[in-house]
Amino acid sequence: MRNTAAVAVEVTGSEPVAFENGRASLQTWRAFRREPLGMLALGILLLLVIAAVAAPLIAPYPPSYGDPVLASPNPQHWFGTDSLGRDVFGEVVWGSQQSILVAVAASAIAIVVGTVIAVIGAYFRRLDSFVSVLVDVTLSLPVLPLMILIAALVGPSTTTIILVVAAFSWPEVTRLVRSQALIVVQLPYVDAARLMTTSPLWIIARHIVPAVTPVIVVSVVVTASRAVLSAAGLAFLGLGDPNAWSWGRILYEAQQSGAMSSAWWLTLFPSIAILMLVLAATLLSVAYNDARNPRSRRR
Amino acid sequence: MSRFLFLIPRLGRGVLTIWFAVTVTFLLLRLLPGDPALAIASPNMTEETRAILLKEYGLDQPLIVQYGIYLWQVVQGNLGVSFTQSIPVFDVLMQRLPWTLLLTGTALVTTVAVGIPLGVLAASHRGRFLDRLVQIIGVTGQSIFVPSIGVLFLFVFGLMLGWLPIGGAYDQDAYGLAWYGSVATHLALPALSLMLVQLGSYVLTMRSTLIDALREDYTLLAKANGLPYRRVLWRHALRNALLPTTTLIGLQLGFLVGGAVLTETVFAYPGIGRGIYEAVTQLDFPVLQGAFLALAITVVVANMITDTVYGFLDPRVKKA
Amino acid sequence: MYPRKIALAAAALVASALTLSACAPSAPPAATAVAGSQTLTVATTTDVVNYNPLIGNSRSDYWITNLMYPHLLSIANDGSKVPQVATKWGYVNEKTGFYEIRHDLKWSDGQPLTAEDVAWTMNAVKKDKPSGTFYGQLANLDTATAVSPTRVEFTLTKPDSSVVEEIGFWGNIVPKHVFEKAASVAKFANDGTDGGWVSAGPYKLTKVQVGQSYTLDRVDTYPLISGGTPLSAHVVFRVFPDINTEILALQSGEVDLIANALPPAQVAKLKATSGVTVEESVGLGYAHMTYNMDNPDLAKLEVRQALAHAVDYEAIRKVVLQGQAVSTGSSPLMPVLKDYYDSSITEYDFSTDKSRRLMEKAGYTAGSGGVFPVKFRLIYSLQDSVTSQWATLVKDSAAQAGIVIELQGTERNTYLAKTNKGDFDIYAGNFAIMDDPVTNMTLSYLPGGAINYTHVNDSKLNDLIAQGAATTDKGKKVTLMREAAKIVRDNVYDNIMYTQNLYFAHSSKWTGFVSKPSELLSLVNPVSLAGAHPTGK
Repeated sequence: MRNTAAVAVEVTGSEPVAFENGRASLQTWRAFRREPLGMLALGILLLLVIAAVAAPLIAPYPPSYGDPVLASPNPQHWFGTDSLGRDVFGEVVWGSQQSILVAVAASAIAIVVGTVIAVIGAYFRRLDSFVSVLVDVTLSLPVLPLMILIAALVGPSTTTIILVVAAFSWPEVTRLVRSQALIVVQLPYVDAARLMTTSPLWIIARHIVPAVTPVIVVSVVVTASRAVLSAAGLAFLGLGDPNAWSWGRILYEAQQSGAMSSAWWLTLFPSIAILMLVLAATLLSVAYNDARNPRSRRR
Repeated sequence: MSRFLFLIPRLGRGVLTIWFAVTVTFLLLRLLPGDPALAIASPNMTEETRAILLKEYGLDQPLIVQYGIYLWQVVQGNLGVSFTQSIPVFDVLMQRLPWTLLLTGTALVTTVAVGIPLGVLAASHRGRFLDRLVQIIGVTGQSIFVPSIGVLFLFVFGLMLGWLPIGGAYDQDAYGLAWYGSVATHLALPALSLMLVQLGSYVLTMRSTLIDALREDYTLLAKANGLPYRRVLWRHALRNALLPTTTLIGLQLGFLVGGAVLTETVFAYPGIGRGIYEAVTQLDFPVLQGAFLALAITVVVANMITDTVYGFLDPRVKKA
Repeated sequence: MYPRKIALAAAALVASALTLSACAPSAPPAATAVAGSQTLTVATTTDVVNYNPLIGNSRSDYWITNLMYPHLLSIANDGSKVPQVATKWGYVNEKTGFYEIRHDLKWSDGQPLTAEDVAWTMNAVKKDKPSGTFYGQLANLDTATAVSPTRVEFTLTKPDSSVVEEIGFWGNIVPKHVFEKAASVAKFANDGTDGGWVSAGPYKLTKVQVGQSYTLDRVDTYPLISGGTPLSAHVVFRVFPDINTEILALQSGEVDLIANALPPAQVAKLKATSGVTVEESVGLGYAHMTYNMDNPDLAKLEVRQALAHAVDYEAIRKVVLQGQAVSTGSSPLMPVLKDYYDSSITEYDFSTDKSRRLMEKAGYTAGSGGVFPVKFRLIYSLQDSVTSQWATLVKDSAAQAGIVIELQGTERNTYLAKTNKGDFDIYAGNFAIMDDPVTNMTLSYLPGGAINYTHVNDSKLNDLIAQGAATTDKGKKVTLMREAAKIVRDNVYDNIMYTQNLYFAHSSKWTGFVSKPSELLSLVNPVSLAGAHPTGK
């Protein structure tokens, strides 16, 4: 489901900012701090990360079974229990680890691969048309069905999910970064750098990558949040990692046990967790974009 | 006529895209583990039966030979015969594809119809309460996990209120005009869910492009000329702001058509996304290959349509 | 102006989609029948994959084709066979079997159903080797002949005392005059494109919307139920891929019966729901784990015993199955097979101390943390939700005994491929119907058996099974099978965990269903659907 939904946010509306120095970053941060939605989003993200890291301190790892089964939320079990009597609160807290891991790892891979391809394409102009065709063609592939196919054939595990999600997320990154990088390579200071050194690697690392960093920051957030939804979707279809708790697995088990409509707590809490993560990530990227762009900053 | 000339290189790229999709699918199916003979036969099949099945499917031949045969068949318009259903793949796909097009088409149209005005509303109230509200609604929508909202919708509208049917695409016993009515009521909830999750992208794209467009020289000029704000907004700024939205439609349609698996699962809607999922569980290679081919063609066609619309909207394209 | 253009385009898009989606059908002529004009709507989670009953493998295939292509025999709650199309069956001599069939059955196109159809079906399946369960039962069949319109005799390549009942129960009868047009019954789609379907059951498939519904119309004469006419005019199978939607549809009155067994955790909940009736169907199969003896560690008896004692069977039955399962005493002879069941064979008791002692006896020493230096990979299918749930319990209790089990839940096809290749240490799965001990032990424990996942080859066991297959004396057969079951249990050649009883939900507005064993027959068997009717009548 919805793989591109979040992309459009940053496609437009931001204009090329040649490079950001320390002063610009500071200005961005000042502007950002005045965006209440952005600050709220940042707070939620931090909270979720803390929950993931400190899971052992917050709740015991869900046991293999417990009693009573399908209990509604109560003082002992804040989020109720599932069809094997396990504590849903514990599942959600521990599930945040895998969900956030998938998000971070998949987007990290996608960003690295996507940026490298984009920058190389932009710098070595002869490769650029090949890169753009590759990106276009890959973007036209039906992503979710392909993910289902691969996950089903390879066998579901956290690694598979990370790789599959990353494999279909990089073209979007390449597309964004490429458009920015194409502008940067034509700027006078890059030409000047070309005169000073013969090492393309040095120019790319020193001048081009820093200039595209803002675009990368935005796409990290967007790719990561999309990865969470994709992973949850795969898990819901029975292609999640059966050995680790994730939000998608809680929903999948609720679905398998036919309890989604009667035991609302099984669906509600993991869904809210997913919602919060994706929502916060998206709002953060919107706010960051607004803050970074001097023209759209509020006075 | 000349405004269609720019489509020719696009056509070449379209063929390339289709070839790429077909090849990726072909290779994935054969190089990843999974034995289609096992998926079809009962578990206590003999080694003999298995060998017969593999031979019948042509899977005992070298990969390159299989690929050559397959490509040649595709060029001739022959998609092969389903492993599990023993009927032509084309028939298998046509049983489901129309419903997917109806569902995704409706969702797309309503999304655009709702998304554009909301985007305009947000842009013209920038930074104020309405803007925030619209942004939050849009972003919340696209962060929702579809099956959760789907079951909630079914519970509320299907069971508690009893307003809308649960599952399927139409009523068995409806005929004539009532049949169209039943198609519409069955479509409502799945289309609404799909609309909710897509809405955000359109609203936010519209909002940000419109904000930029309102700062452009031509709108400033128009305003300076004393044109009323509404007229500037709707005629001048919006026209340009529609361009990225058109691109977005082209990008999304392809994903939508194949990506409605979860929606179709929860709402028991007979679409192709669910068909692909089932073909995966049955390892029905010909159906999978055919389905991915059909999706690739849909994407290519959708992109050509949006390119054409783009050509009408953007005066610069005419010159090229 | 642009919004208007878009609106136009939108309208065009919707219109074209509507046109594509087939035009509205026109109403059929008004039905004249007043009594029993009702429609029974049945929910299922999957589509029909193949309409050819000799090939079909999914649940929906089985349910729908069963309503058109009858079986010679049906099954009672204790696993014994009862008449359906056949009225008498048995052996002429040790290498010839026979069936006497009813004379009053007709195909829906008017042709009588005769012994010729039965003989032709058996021979065609033997010749063309379709991939379904039927062909698997014909290993010892030579040729079938219709000696009279109501009697079939068939010769065997070697004596086989179970084959008559197994063929009778598993095999459908198909109309010769329709199926013989196909070059091979293994490739015949039977998708109704050539003049529609022909049925000798209570209902006949008439309309299909893939992904949504399968409509069957009444066949007016069906002598297998009292009255001779099915009560409902139509039976509609509707597809709901998600069981949650299925349950909502039952509650809202959209469907009248759910064909799939309820998830154990939903049984109590639905029993308490007003407007919903839950009925029980006896289980005739079992869930089990097998230990791959090709693995040098698992080849040791003590290791298999240690694993068998490290499973909390009672907790699995109580929590995962909500008390809806019965212990078989770790024996393949389930209590439901009353003639064969041997109560002196008892279940492995759950004792992690015993497991540790057995591991030590096998020569392993626990390292720091009390963990033995072994690691086993347990495979199961993720589509099997009950097994997926107890696999975790197995892993956790084994960990208490210091044995590491790594779970490998995979998509069904990957699981089948791994099973077939022997790519596992421990296999977890289940069988829906294990009605005949001799047949099942032949497949499960003889070397080269199709479901011999343990890869066991025990000469004493082989001998007992071979004797059982050859003998026609029931008492002697029971003794042989009990002896074999004891060997299986004591050597942990198979770890049979329970027989699950199944529960099915239908609307309280309907009654008259006849429950048959297993999910394959349950409430959707032909006699049950033909006799179901609204309570108001």
